[in-house]
Amino acid sequence: MPDNKTPELPYDADNPAERQLWDALGDVSAEEPSPRLRQEFYRKLAHASRPTIAMKLREWLGFSGNTGWLTATACVLLGLGAGQLFSPPGHDNGRLAALEENVLMLNRSLILDRLENDTASKRLRGVMDAAFIAGNDAEIATALLQRATQDRVPSVRSAAITALGTQVKTPEVGARLMELLEQAESPLVQMALADLVLRNGSAEQMTRLQQLADNGSLHPDIARHVTTSLTREMI
Amino acid sequence: MQAVTDEQLIQWVADGDTSCLATLFERHHRAVYRFCLQMTRRRSQSEDLVQDVFLKILKKADSFRGDGLFKSWMFNIARNVTLDHIRKARRYPGESMDDDVLDQHASDQRSAEQSAAGSEKMNFVMQALAALPTAAQQVIWLGWFQFENYDELGRALGCNAGTARVRMHRAMALLNSTYTSIHGVPIDA
Repeated sequence: MPDNKTPELPYDADNPAERQLWDALGDVSAEEPSPRLRQEFYRKLAHASRPTIAMKLREWLGFSGNTGWLTATACVLLGLGAGQLFSPPGHDNGRLAALEENVLMLNRSLILDRLENDTASKRLRGVMDAAFIAGNDAEIATALLQRATQDRVPSVRSAAITALGTQVKTPEVGARLMELLEQAESPLVQMALADLVLRNGSAEQMTRLQQLADNGSLHPDIARHVTTSLTREMI
Repeated sequence: MQAVTDEQLIQWVADGDTSCLATLFERHHRAVYRFCLQMTRRRSQSEDLVQDVFLKILKKADSFRGDGLFKSWMFNIARNVTLDHIRKARRYPGESMDDDVLDQHASDQRSAEQSAAGSEKMNFVMQALAALPTAAQQVIWLGWFQFENYDELGRALGCNAGTARVRMHRAMALLNSTYTSIHGVPIDA
């Protein structure tokens, strides 16, 4: 609300006295709140955003995170180990290799399915599973990039950004992520992207990141974090 | 940078990204503060009310239906929070006596010439406005400072556009008569 602004709503009464009163309101000065308001609000917001006891319990019991992928991998390894142990001498190793490949393909399809799932928690799980193989699999990397740029849930977007990891240096992924950084409004997503560039980005990407921090495109706290990190690195 | 709309941000808050509320806070907290300040006339109470408004937005984010502007929905919340506060303050009048009371002229940062020319009229307008019922003050402040049309003003007031127009004209007629009784002469005399 700028000082001494013109009214936004056109006042449509015929009474000239009322119109003069309406116009006189434009002389009211605009007062700024004190810095205490911002500090107090962010403190309360941080408190309100803390995970609930139910969420902590889920995490503690292992119902959240990467347990599905670990269980599947453990079963495959156990199966392969048992197969090796109990197979008679001269058993067809080719068939075993084919079986192993089929299991890996199945796991890959499962990850791609999860990345497209309607439920955000399943997509998040897909992102975490995909993080392990994205470096060697172009299709998984593309699916992750799609989650990073288009998912409607910010926690999935930021997890996908983190999962892309070192791929930020590859031309296609790097360009898309930098484009996303310029458009991202969510501080959560901005933070994930800035951290990714700071950890794995090229010199050119870091220069662009500093420019975005300087021109006010990033949330003020993230801009400060970027400037501090880059300055410390230069020293 | 392509700005994400307030309506998209509040959807993301509803989806669980509370950090988007920070962006909404940065965009709107000054406007909400000024509205609360004009209603309560007390600075520190107004800052507390702004926090209450945004924390209420966080709690009620999933009830934003997207059929109007976020700003209208936000000011509807701000209006209710302020009304509740004023009702409580009337019930327990002693509690807010030591607060930092707004003096419109002390906070007026215009140049001396501008102030000299308009201060007397401004003083009477402000006195008249402060003497109006809270609901009438809210209609005038929101209509003057925040909304471009009666549809959005109506959403902020919790009524339709036609009712908002009627309420605005009644409030302005009341302001006119109150101004005349305080000043002794009509504003256009």
